[in-house]
Amino acid sequence: MALIDLENVSLHFRVRQKRQVTLKEYLIHHMYRRSVNPYVEVRALNQVDLCAEDGDRIGIVGHNGAGKSTLLRVLAGVYPPTSGTRTVDGRICSLFDITLGFEMESTGWENIHYRGYLLGETPKSIAAKQKEIAEFTELGDFMNMPVRHYSAGMLVRLAFAISTAVEPEVLLVDEVLSVGDREFQVKARERMAQLMKNARLLVMVSHDLDSLARVCQTGIWLDHGRIIKFGPMSEVIQAYRGNAQPALSKAAA
Amino acid sequence: MLAYFDSIWKCRHFWLSLVKLDLRTRYRRSFLGIGWSLLHPVCMTVIMCLVFSKLFKQSAVEYAPYLLSGLAIWQYIVNCTLQGCQSFFSGEKYIRQTPMPLAIFPLRTVLSATFHFVIALGLVLALVIGMGVAGYRELHPLAMWQAVPGVLMLFVFCWSMAVLAGLATVFFHDAQHLAEVGFQIGFYATPIIYESRLLEQNDLGWVNEINPVVIFLRLIRDPILEGIIPSAFTYFEGLVIISAAAGLACLLMARLQKRLIFHL
Repeated sequence: MALIDLENVSLHFRVRQKRQVTLKEYLIHHMYRRSVNPYVEVRALNQVDLCAEDGDRIGIVGHNGAGKSTLLRVLAGVYPPTSGTRTVDGRICSLFDITLGFEMESTGWENIHYRGYLLGETPKSIAAKQKEIAEFTELGDFMNMPVRHYSAGMLVRLAFAISTAVEPEVLLVDEVLSVGDREFQVKARERMAQLMKNARLLVMVSHDLDSLARVCQTGIWLDHGRIIKFGPMSEVIQAYRGNAQPALSKAAA
Repeated sequence: MLAYFDSIWKCRHFWLSLVKLDLRTRYRRSFLGIGWSLLHPVCMTVIMCLVFSKLFKQSAVEYAPYLLSGLAIWQYIVNCTLQGCQSFFSGEKYIRQTPMPLAIFPLRTVLSATFHFVIALGLVLALVIGMGVAGYRELHPLAMWQAVPGVLMLFVFCWSMAVLAGLATVFFHDAQHLAEVGFQIGFYATPIIYESRLLEQNDLGWVNEINPVVIFLRLIRDPILEGIIPSAFTYFEGLVIISAAAGLACLLMARLQKRLIFHL
């Protein structure tokens, strides 16, 4: 049973306007230098409500900086919400930045282990799965090479193969699948469909609206950390496109 | 608190494999392999032994194990703290991916440093036992075991230091630099190359009393070399120091664990 429930979740954090203070500055100048380098409050998410259950496939669209990736990270539990509650039931697996979570100097095989352990596998269980993972990547002898030599597409293949082999109940995907080649895209879609059959939960961020329309049935349009529209994927995409179009034609004129 | 340590234990496969990786990358493609990490303290000891055993008018047989053990303990603390500074940054790619107990990253640093420390300590033991068997110095086989609790306490201390150093560096980028300067000064204020007797004879005994590293020297070096079983008070002092360091580390970790990611 997989479940995602965000209730009135906001995420604010503060960053220094210029650069981080050093300890010396902090101890010596902190009293009167405060105004020179003030904090800036970033409101990454504002009162987001989201509820999803087994079998839901949610696509998130929005402009750059709208808070899409932040929302995924809140779901993954990497960013703790500033206010509101987050409830996620089920084994989570996330595919964010492709190079994230790879040891560049290690081989593909070794990285299967590292990432597998991170996802809660044990040496025994991962040993049973590693052959299947390697087969899915179709990387062949490249598996014996340090990941440093891999192309972006190869990294995605490996990351995707590991993340889906551990049978996640909640899969969070952030704009990475588009790097793979056509053949892999088809394969990845098949694997996703397979996962979905077991009534799992998927949340996906992408700028590729066509593939979102194919994979997801529910859509979210996010802007400035707020949910603008929530509904069937096709309607959300239509609204999002309609919003983007006038801005484009205005710019053209 | 217990739940936190439990979660650390649960992902042991992960950090243990990272420690293995750290050790392997360090020795990969090097002819001497593990010998490299021995070479540094051994060379230091040989050179300093040549100079200082004359200066302090001590026999090299007495002085070499003294120096080597002192350097091993000191280097262990320094390595854990300074490498600990970078521990959260080096784990950033994992921290941004999956939620996990963040104390495993300083632990990873400390465990690979512990590996080198154990090797260095093994060298000290080999030296002491070798000299003892050959009849150059007195051997204290029973008292040597008394160093074990000291080593365990040192490990807890070093882990706490690595956590504190890591947190400090995330929030203040110059923390590592300041720590380096501090250790440079500390090296000369600690009886590593000279005997603590010398400080007491010159009315500097208080330097010993305020230096936490001296406690660990007493707990580990004295039983191995002199056969002196550390007094109950020394153990008490050690416990106070590690409780203070570990307590502060746990407190800060609990407070900052969630905010840390926004500062990486």
